[in-house]
Amino acid sequence: MSFEWLLFLRLILRPLAREPIRTALAIFAVALGVSAVVAIDLAGQAAAGSFHSSLESLAGNSDLQITAPGGLDERLLGKLVQLPYAFQFAPRIESFAFINGKGEAVPFIGLDLIGHAAQREFATDTSAQQANLLSEGYPIWVGQQLHLRAGERVPLLINDTLRTFIVAGILKPEKEKVVERVIVADIGLAQEVTGKLGKLDSIDVRTPQGKPAVDWRTILGSTLPASVSIDPQGARTQEYRKMLAAFRLNLRALSYIALIVGAFLIYNTISISVVRRRNEIGVLRALGGTRRMILGGFLAEALFLAVAGSSAGLLIGRFLAVGAVKLIGNTVQSLYVSSQPAPIHLTLAATITGLGLGLGVSLLAALAPALEASRIAPVEAMARGREEYSLALRSRSVSLWALLLVAVAAILCKLPAVRGRPVFAYIAVVLLIAATAAIIPSAVYLLAGTTHHVLQKLLGMEAMLALRALRGSIGRTSVLTAALATAVAMTTSVGIMVGSFRETVRVWMNHQLQADLYLRPAGSPGADRHPTMDPEIADRIERLPGVAAVDRFRAYRISYDGLPATLAGGESSRVRDSDATTFLPGEDRDAILSKLPTGDYAVVSEPFANEHNVHAGSILQIPLAGAVRRFRVLGIYYDYAAGGGYIILDRRTLLKYLPDPAESNVAVYLKRGVEAGAVRRGIGRVIGGRAVMVFSNGALRRGALQVFDRTFRITYALEAVAVIVAVMGIAGALLAMVIDRRREFALLRFLGASQLQVRGIILCEAGLLGLLANAIGLILGAILSLILIFVINKQSFGWTIQFHWPAALLLTALTGIYAATVLAGLYPARTAVRMNPIEMIHEA
Amino acid sequence: MKRKTLVVLAVAMIAAAQQWQPALPGYSYEFPRDYFNHPEYQTEWWYYTGNLRAADGHRFGFELTFFRQAVHLPPAAAAAEDVVWRPDELYLAHLALSDIDGGNFYHVERLNRAGPGLAGISLEQRRYWNGNWQVQWNSLASGDQKLQAVCDRFKLVLNLKPEKPPVIHGRNGISRKGAAPGEASHYISFTRIAAEGHLDRNGKSAAVTGLAWMDHEFFTESAAGKVAGWDWFAIQLDNREELMLYRLRNDTGAETPYSSGTYVDAQGKARFLEAGQFSLTPGETWHSPRSGARYPVAWTISVPSLGLQLSERTALKDQELFTERSISPTYWEGAVTYQGQIHDQKVNGVGYLEMTGYRNAIRVSGHTPR
Repeated sequence: MSFEWLLFLRLILRPLAREPIRTALAIFAVALGVSAVVAIDLAGQAAAGSFHSSLESLAGNSDLQITAPGGLDERLLGKLVQLPYAFQFAPRIESFAFINGKGEAVPFIGLDLIGHAAQREFATDTSAQQANLLSEGYPIWVGQQLHLRAGERVPLLINDTLRTFIVAGILKPEKEKVVERVIVADIGLAQEVTGKLGKLDSIDVRTPQGKPAVDWRTILGSTLPASVSIDPQGARTQEYRKMLAAFRLNLRALSYIALIVGAFLIYNTISISVVRRRNEIGVLRALGGTRRMILGGFLAEALFLAVAGSSAGLLIGRFLAVGAVKLIGNTVQSLYVSSQPAPIHLTLAATITGLGLGLGVSLLAALAPALEASRIAPVEAMARGREEYSLALRSRSVSLWALLLVAVAAILCKLPAVRGRPVFAYIAVVLLIAATAAIIPSAVYLLAGTTHHVLQKLLGMEAMLALRALRGSIGRTSVLTAALATAVAMTTSVGIMVGSFRETVRVWMNHQLQADLYLRPAGSPGADRHPTMDPEIADRIERLPGVAAVDRFRAYRISYDGLPATLAGGESSRVRDSDATTFLPGEDRDAILSKLPTGDYAVVSEPFANEHNVHAGSILQIPLAGAVRRFRVLGIYYDYAAGGGYIILDRRTLLKYLPDPAESNVAVYLKRGVEAGAVRRGIGRVIGGRAVMVFSNGALRRGALQVFDRTFRITYALEAVAVIVAVMGIAGALLAMVIDRRREFALLRFLGASQLQVRGIILCEAGLLGLLANAIGLILGAILSLILIFVINKQSFGWTIQFHWPAALLLTALTGIYAATVLAGLYPARTAVRMNPIEMIHEA
Repeated sequence: MKRKTLVVLAVAMIAAAQQWQPALPGYSYEFPRDYFNHPEYQTEWWYYTGNLRAADGHRFGFELTFFRQAVHLPPAAAAAEDVVWRPDELYLAHLALSDIDGGNFYHVERLNRAGPGLAGISLEQRRYWNGNWQVQWNSLASGDQKLQAVCDRFKLVLNLKPEKPPVIHGRNGISRKGAAPGEASHYISFTRIAAEGHLDRNGKSAAVTGLAWMDHEFFTESAAGKVAGWDWFAIQLDNREELMLYRLRNDTGAETPYSSGTYVDAQGKARFLEAGQFSLTPGETWHSPRSGARYPVAWTISVPSLGLQLSERTALKDQELFTERSISPTYWEGAVTYQGQIHDQKVNGVGYLEMTGYRNAIRVSGHTPR
């Protein structure tokens, strides 16, 4: 056995084995940190990263896709197929259906089942012979995952109508390209049931060989009107991925916080090891051990903890991902796009990221104490007595460094996003955490120096002793405080951000939702789905007694400049009469809404304006009805409804270009003093057998807030992980302290301290630590929340969020953390109490 | 291997109630109306075949066929936009190129419904089309047409000039296929069409000229149950005479009494030939490795009343349109040459030969002989 190995065994492994609980806690802290990163990475990948637009399923091996806002005139297909080139064209209708009117939206795709068949094996299981495209029923072919049987009758809700379809066959997957949750119908039927007669949502193109794709695009472009876009197949998937990227980045950033907290704990663990083994280090050095050997030894310890922790974290993360993917999937569904999370795969990339981050961060955190250890002079180390770092001596210069970090952070916050990613703001956050860690020793000194009289009076001798101990072990204490403070800061900042966001949305909704009743097609809503209602419904409701006005709203999913957006039409005059829709400060609401119906004008939502750098006076070029139309932006309004951004025209303007009167939503204003119940019954009769849901104003608001809360569950889960890591760290560190100070406790016992008093000292230390960490974390958190709200959120999503203290939420969270910290002192306290004083005294 | 069943197959299998017009005697032809479609009949087709030669002497054969198969009579009261995608009629098309000197045969098929202009036959637009396979009539009077067909392997563009007026086959306006009334078709041909144009393949364009033949046939009932297959000959002789002959076979392979033919003299005058007036004798066979069918690719043809003796040969034995998954049957249709004499005068010719029912009996309605 080599000397180095022996050294590692004796100096590092043996002490670790001697304190299994503390070792386990350190490993577990790393594991949790890594697991949070891995879980978010995997779940993010499954729910958002591997997002494949369900509407692009069954695209076969086409290369290009022809689309237009509001759909294509089907006659274009007739022209295209006659081009003298060997193109293959596949027309599509794209919509969503709800099986039995319930559950999640299933992509409903219309294909030319006759034309396709000659080119493609559009095969089904057994019953194709019985089925035919002309039967009076509505034949559909379904993906295997829908678990329907051939011949089965299935009621499908599409738009506002529930119809019974017949499963004509089960789709055979085509080289994994088929999304298994999909319903296919022949194109004519699909047009009929989705209300798109005469229209196609897209035409997939397979280009001949022999020319580059660009040339084929030019050839196609010359036959098509300017209102049509030709994009590479998969463009929409890319668009959504792009949009989801910001969301994923922020989620990832959040998960790294847990890792940072873990890093503090590694730092702490190695520091403790170094302090405890000063004697051994001294002896080793005196016997000729090199500095490098010492450095290596402690880094090896960190590596050991990191490898054990990261490996465990990888496994835990894999399991946590299952839960996380549901939460993330929910958010993606309600804010961005209808999609099914992909299966979770522990990919090599995720494994490397998880392990790499775990090891890297741990080693980096261990570097400082390990270097410190290697610099210990042999003689000094062999001197008797427990030594602390000379941290306190350097605290002034450290504070200066902290100030510098804060200054740099402030500058970074002013810098713009890098390709839509708030990179600088995140660096600023890390710098602020570092700055906080740097000033914590001074803060502990300050706390101990200024409060010991007060505390002694309040809590007695135990508090005084606890304070002294904290002050005495300043190096260790401050790191622990920093770890917990970081976790608290994260909780606070995210808490404030979410609370502010929620309050902003609530206030906005109160403004936005001015009507008394709202109607939309049944089925769960989705940001990218705009099912429509029979336009007769609104017309008839308008004539009901008691109804003052009806506001018809129609939305289309479009692509704008390579990103998904929603093009919609509303009734400007109705909006003007109510208080709904708030514009950015300085914009004349009345003037905007009066001018909107008079021509090709638009208003855009704030996220859209931010994403596309649009302001009042900008011109939007939107291809519509055969030509590229130019819309002047009159104003930017606040909107928190969806991730993609809205372009709103007046309803008449929209109908001029897309003359389909069916609405996506209808708002109903009642006359003053009218009893809502009677009108609702009238509306119910108008709706008749159609699947349209009516919401009261209050119900709609409550529903919207529920969706909001659901989307932020994942952030709460991540915060919890960070807090658990920090609290465990506290427990581990206190335990170490107890073991280190066993002679001290024994002495106290000899001097007549009761077991209760010893326990009191330790709990007091924990309490003081928690208090300090909470205070510092709260301040740091408040600052970070400003960055989150005004820099990161703005750069990532473009929402204006009004700052708001969610007092109750914060109080609950911080009290919880504080209680957890004190409780973390219980086990070390018990250990201290159980020590045999006589043994302890003699041991030394 | 589990055979995959196509959705489309089901569509074509629907035997709707016989509400279409049967082909009955006494039909009076009217042109240009009868060059185009007859929705009141269930089945209709337009066949273009021909032998071409490039400037360097390279020989080619081509086939472009448009089928119209009605599956449903459209509902009388349906709004126009509701019926765009209704598959009331299916349009099938076959395109084949015989690279005779290159020893290659390539074919591809296409199935569509009318849809928003995907396929159709239109007197108004003077054209037949299925996607970018189309024939445009430049002049209804002279019969000048432009044929254009594109697929992933080649592009063929031909200007077609009929050198004789259309020929009406059969007697009394019908070409009989069976004993029952209605078991017949209305059948016309352009038997001598001068073709010139170009053929683009492998990135090169070659000017081609040659002789083409066009058939148009429409009917509702066929002798589908009684006819197992047929052998059909288009013969274009270098003395400017043409013959169309077909032989119908029953289940046992024996000839039915309803085989017939048409002789067209150099001036374009047609004479009906009934079954007893000619004989078609199969010779050498070619065995298809794909379908397993044995096709007689060499024939001896005799029409005693014309003093005509011909032997048919092909330089490319594999001209089988093999389709495993489509609604159309597998058959042999290819460019052939003829050699022989008329009253001791040597005569040569080119033409096309179609042989069906050698793989398995054709019973799908709409595929009886021309």
